[in-house]
Amino acid sequence: MTEIEITKGAIALIGYGLAAIGPGVGIGILAGNAVQAMARQPEAAGMVRTTMFLGIAFTEALALIGFVLFFLA
Amino acid sequence: MDLEILAFECETATDVVCTPPFVNELFETTTVFTVFGVDVNRAMLLMIVAAVAVVAILFFALRKRSVVPSKFGSAVEGLLTLVKDDIATGIIGPEGTKYAPYLISLFLFILVGNLMELTPGINFPITSRMGIPIFLALMTWVIFVFAGFKKQGLGYLGHIVWPKDVPIALRWLVGIIEFVSIFLVRPFSLAVRLFANLVAGHVMLTLLLVTGYVYITGFSNATFNGVFGLMWWVLALAIFLFEAVVSILQAYIFTLLSAVYIQTSVHPEH
Repeated sequence: MTEIEITKGAIALIGYGLAAIGPGVGIGILAGNAVQAMARQPEAAGMVRTTMFLGIAFTEALALIGFVLFFLA
Repeated sequence: MDLEILAFECETATDVVCTPPFVNELFETTTVFTVFGVDVNRAMLLMIVAAVAVVAILFFALRKRSVVPSKFGSAVEGLLTLVKDDIATGIIGPEGTKYAPYLISLFLFILVGNLMELTPGINFPITSRMGIPIFLALMTWVIFVFAGFKKQGLGYLGHIVWPKDVPIALRWLVGIIEFVSIFLVRPFSLAVRLFANLVAGHVMLTLLLVTGYVYITGFSNATFNGVFGLMWWVLALAIFLFEAVVSILQAYIFTLLSAVYIQTSVHPEH
């Protein structure tokens, strides 16, 4: 491994860490609010859960793209 | 794979002690046999096995129609009801029954492919090779674009690139963003979501299991390192359970998002 390859890998690792911050906060807010909604209206729990999974899937994609780019770099 | 060579490929002469193997080596598969000049490698073979397994599951579960189904039959019926009622008709609406067979086969194929990650003796999720998720995502793409054009005619494209409910000065910009996000980003993100989850799981499991194995077999102080190696394996067991949840959840999410994409082109107002 040359010097520049190691540096590139390290920078890619930092990039993946930065890409994980936003989705982490987003999924936290989303799941927290979903739990609150389920606690307030337990009869709507099924609908809330489906919507929560949808939201998590959309939010998570950003972190996963960062993960793939880390391996590509 | 030769684990000792993988772990102990070290250069003692220089300062850099070990060169870790590149991650791609975990996903390379060897050619198993050749049929009519076509090399069939392990991933392709497992893909065929997964397809046969899905057909076999459906055949054996639903072969005998009786009022009280067998245990296996009722478990499979539960899965089919989940996909048909919650995803197909629940999201797309009454027209969803038309798309239910596609969604059911998608769900079961991805589920079997994902669970191959955890099957002892196979230990390779076929969905961690980009070819399979991107093909499934493109199939969904073709279906939702075709459904949109069939339902709305050329107005489908018109609604996307020239949205009527946006102020006229911004229409071209919103149109470009919508066009790119619907026709280019959607299939890509759908495929990458499944692919990256399974790649992460496979890498994580391999790291933990190989670390435990190296700890137990590799060093001289047997008791001390044996305890540490067993601790790695306990952690690997916890990740095993987590990966089982991830496998099922990702199959569900892929199917759910396919249904949502079909729904947006069948009912443009929402």
